[in-house]
Amino acid sequence: MGFDLVRFVGEVDEELLCPICTGVLQDPVQAPACEHAFCKGCILEWLLRQSTCPVDRLSVNVLQLRPVPRILKNLLNRLYIVCENSNYGCQSVVKLDTLDSHLSECEYNPKRPFPCEQGCGLIIPKDEHKDHNCVKELRELVQKQQQKINEMHQDMATYRYEMTGIKDEMRVLKGYVRALRVCNPSVRAVADELERDEIERWSSSLPQARVTRWGGMISTPDEYLQNNIKQALIESGCPAHILDDLVKNCHERNWPSGLSSLETRQHNRRHYDRYNCKRIPGKQAVIVLPCDNIMVSDDMMSEPGLIMIFAHGIE
Amino acid sequence: MNNIATQRIKREFKEVIKSEELAKCSIKVDLVGDSYTELKGEIAGPPDTPYEGGIFLLEIKVPETYPFNPPKVRFMTKIWHPNISSVTGAICLDILKDQWAAAMTLRTVLLSLQALMAAAEPDDPQDAVVAKQYKEYPEIFAKTASHWTNVYAGGIICS
Repeated sequence: MGFDLVRFVGEVDEELLCPICTGVLQDPVQAPACEHAFCKGCILEWLLRQSTCPVDRLSVNVLQLRPVPRILKNLLNRLYIVCENSNYGCQSVVKLDTLDSHLSECEYNPKRPFPCEQGCGLIIPKDEHKDHNCVKELRELVQKQQQKINEMHQDMATYRYEMTGIKDEMRVLKGYVRALRVCNPSVRAVADELERDEIERWSSSLPQARVTRWGGMISTPDEYLQNNIKQALIESGCPAHILDDLVKNCHERNWPSGLSSLETRQHNRRHYDRYNCKRIPGKQAVIVLPCDNIMVSDDMMSEPGLIMIFAHGIE
Repeated sequence: MNNIATQRIKREFKEVIKSEELAKCSIKVDLVGDSYTELKGEIAGPPDTPYEGGIFLLEIKVPETYPFNPPKVRFMTKIWHPNISSVTGAICLDILKDQWAAAMTLRTVLLSLQALMAAAEPDDPQDAVVAKQYKEYPEIFAKTASHWTNVYAGGIICS
């Protein structure tokens, strides 16, 4: 619908009016043959009912509508119009082509979003500020969020329950695999592969680690420290079939020949940086697994992997 | 009533008031009540017709969807005419039905009705009795129409 004629300053030529709404043309388009111009909104509404020009009834459809000539646009853009927020105190009179940019900035626009200054900081339309109550709004917000939290808690409980079920099933299945392996040798290969996959999956779930001070290595950890590491391994999801062997391999007495004494370690120190290490979450300790370190020679690696504990220096 | 209908009717009302036809006393529009949804129209009977000298009142109801749909117009003054019901005043005129166009106004509608009074369309009748008489006994028709004009439409004198 066009702009109300009373908002314009000075005379507006009849040619600039929409024959449908009788306002000043807004987004004008014209019919192809007769070249009668209308507001886009008005003519679209009319064409829903009849495919004719509203002035002379020549046939017209939506696809045939064309933009109006530049001269018509220029004449429209030259008109001066009063801001539509004049009722709210805006006294601006702007050229029609700058109306949109004025409206987006007009500080009298009652719907302009404005942050509440009484403390809650919510952004609300200006005209709603006087009825705005921070406490009420915030309470509603809190209620909404509480509801969301409750829903999430419920979801979480459901997932937990499902997870327990899945874990139980897995345990049973693992038992099956073990039993099968014992009674049928050909299954052993399959089982081994499954176990290897399990280790790789676990390894890829661990964060990459970098040792900055190899000198801080604790090569003879006491039982307390070993248990501590074991607990961390269990929590990180370490596959059960390698857990005990892996924990044993945190002491130099179980390390391969290239690492088993201080002397050999000093001799092989330059090879340390080739290790691809994984961090044991929360601990100053790294795991070196064969699957991550295919290129490392046998005297620097042992099955099912190595654990090195440090006093400090793990990143 | 939505903005576009109100804006249009306000402007058209002014258009009729300022028009030459009003100056010549041939058409007139008045508001009924405060809203622009109902108006009262007046047409002078065209010269050289049985309606000459009469003033005919019209009921004009403006729909919510105006000007995308035509106004509903009915003769309140009884009239003897093939395209107007002698009982209800209902009008058979294409521009008030499927030939309506959004650029038409109250003024053009009233002028079209005046033209219809001057040139009836007996082949597309609203009142079959009147239409039959118009075709078969034109003289009796003219007398009847003139009589109805004097009886029902003659009392009002244009100021």
